[in-house]
Amino acid sequence: MKLAWIPFVFLRVLKSLRDLLWTHVLTSGTMAMTLFIFGGFLLIQDNLHSLLKGWGSQIQIFAYLNNSLASPDLQKLIAAVRSYPEVESVRFVSREQAWESFKKSMGSQSSLLEGLQAEILPPSLEIVLKMPYRERAPAGDVAKRLRGLAGISQVEYPEEWVERLSVLVLGVQWAKWIFGGFLFAATLLIVGNTVKLAILARKDEIEIMQLVGAPQGLIQAPFVVEGMIQGIAGASLSLLVLWLLFLFLGTELPNFLGIFAVRDQIHFLDVEGVALILSLGGLLGASGSLFSLRRFLKV
Amino acid sequence: MVQLFRVAKIYPPNYPALKDIYLQIDKGEFVFVNGPSGAGKTTLLRLLFRAEDASEGQIVVNGRNITRLDGKGVAELRRELGLVFQEFKLLPTMTALENVALAAQVVGVSRQESKRKAFHLLRELGLKDKHDARPPTLSGGEQQRVAIARALVNEPMLVLADEPTGNLDAETAEETMRLFLKIHERGTTVLLATHDTGVLKRFGCRAVFLQRGELVGDSKQESGEARL
Ligand SMILES: Nc1ncnc2c1ncn2[C@@H]1O[C@H](COP(=O)(O)OP(=O)(O)OP(=O)(O)O)[C@@H](O)[C@H]1O
Ligand SMILES: [Mg+2]
Repeated sequence: MKLAWIPFVFLRVLKSLRDLLWTHVLTSGTMAMTLFIFGGFLLIQDNLHSLLKGWGSQIQIFAYLNNSLASPDLQKLIAAVRSYPEVESVRFVSREQAWESFKKSMGSQSSLLEGLQAEILPPSLEIVLKMPYRERAPAGDVAKRLRGLAGISQVEYPEEWVERLSVLVLGVQWAKWIFGGFLFAATLLIVGNTVKLAILARKDEIEIMQLVGAPQGLIQAPFVVEGMIQGIAGASLSLLVLWLLFLFLGTELPNFLGIFAVRDQIHFLDVEGVALILSLGGLLGASGSLFSLRRFLKV
Repeated sequence: MVQLFRVAKIYPPNYPALKDIYLQIDKGEFVFVNGPSGAGKTTLLRLLFRAEDASEGQIVVNGRNITRLDGKGVAELRRELGLVFQEFKLLPTMTALENVALAAQVVGVSRQESKRKAFHLLRELGLKDKHDARPPTLSGGEQQRVAIARALVNEPMLVLADEPTGNLDAETAEETMRLFLKIHERGTTVLLATHDTGVLKRFGCRAVFLQRGELVGDSKQESGEARL
């Protein structure tokens, strides 16, 4: 490709974008929709994944104690739990500490708690397992042994949550490609059709270029560039909409559902995710256009 | 410059437009391809710039066998040719100058240089005041001269013209024919298809005759035989 051809290609792309403006806008919009759905899945998958990782790495067992437990017994109990080979650390949470952190987690709605007493929350032990034991089976094993100890009334650990979330992440991961795959195929056809219109609009010029021996690359380049521009525009639009939706849900949804803990943990797509969407857009546009060129540009 | 060996063209499903053609055209010749309508003149020319594939036989243009060429090879072949058609094939939205310059630009000549070349050619062909005119505002003869300028802008070895005067009145046709002779005098090989038999007598160049797809006469061979 010679340098002199860059303005040539550029001019033709501009002209085509202008002449078929609404066709191009609609095509970009279609691509934006496809990529929005794909990006939405990607975003959910990303967030679930990091939530899972966060939770997995902090698998804790909560052992709630009898209210009547005396101090020496408590010390003995803590020492016993500490001596388990799976246990990394044990932290005692008194009734007052539990109350404070509960109030804090309620945030602005803590006024609702007025009149309630610290007594309603039992003291507890927060038990962190060593790395290799942070899985379902060993955690369950430890929980079973804890239940057998005197002074412990109840044992909890987020076993089912972790498991269900893992399945969900896997589901989203697959849905992204299955849904995405269908939409990509449909979008390819729509881009192909737009490029077909662009080819027809320039059919006479293309014929003359072919007759005077213009290289095929030069004849095709404007359409490929055109497809890529549409794709990248569509991808940018999808990212913008996704981001606005993310901002909205990120501030509104946690308040609405009362999931305070999640609020600080969700995040938008990282640089790689954004780059993936943009390049998928460009690729989708370019391949839709090549696909059309192959069909409608006879040599 | 051009050699055809046992060339045949069968259009699908099975219409034989050319049969068993042998033809040799040397560098610097001016050759008329003559024959009644439907004889296969256009088909012959289209084979030479590879708008059609030969069904049989071999074709050599400028030392290159063109029977088997990929897209890139076809483009390279056409860069050595200048093509002129009955219906001009100019782009109505571009000016005369842009129409001519386009042909140079797309084969890699810079914008500036393309315009300079187009400018000089148009002046040479007597279209000095028509650079900025668009084809629909030009007369038929003027349009054909723009098309000829476009065919010449890349300095082709061989010019192929298919009924270039078919859409022109007698007087303009005569002028246009003289233009092709001038091009020929500058050293370019010219192959010109026409069904007009009067022009052959007036110009006295070599002429080959087609009839129903067969090459039935060649003034060169006849005069050669006559001399023997
Ligand atoms: N694409 C095609 N498919 C089928 N038949 C064709 C095709 N092109 C041409 N023919 C046939 O081949 C024969 C030769 O056509 P061609 O155009 O070469 O004749 P010609 O000598 O140029 O005629 P004219 O003087 O009218 O231009 C004609 O009978 C025509 O109908
Ligand atoms: Mg013809």
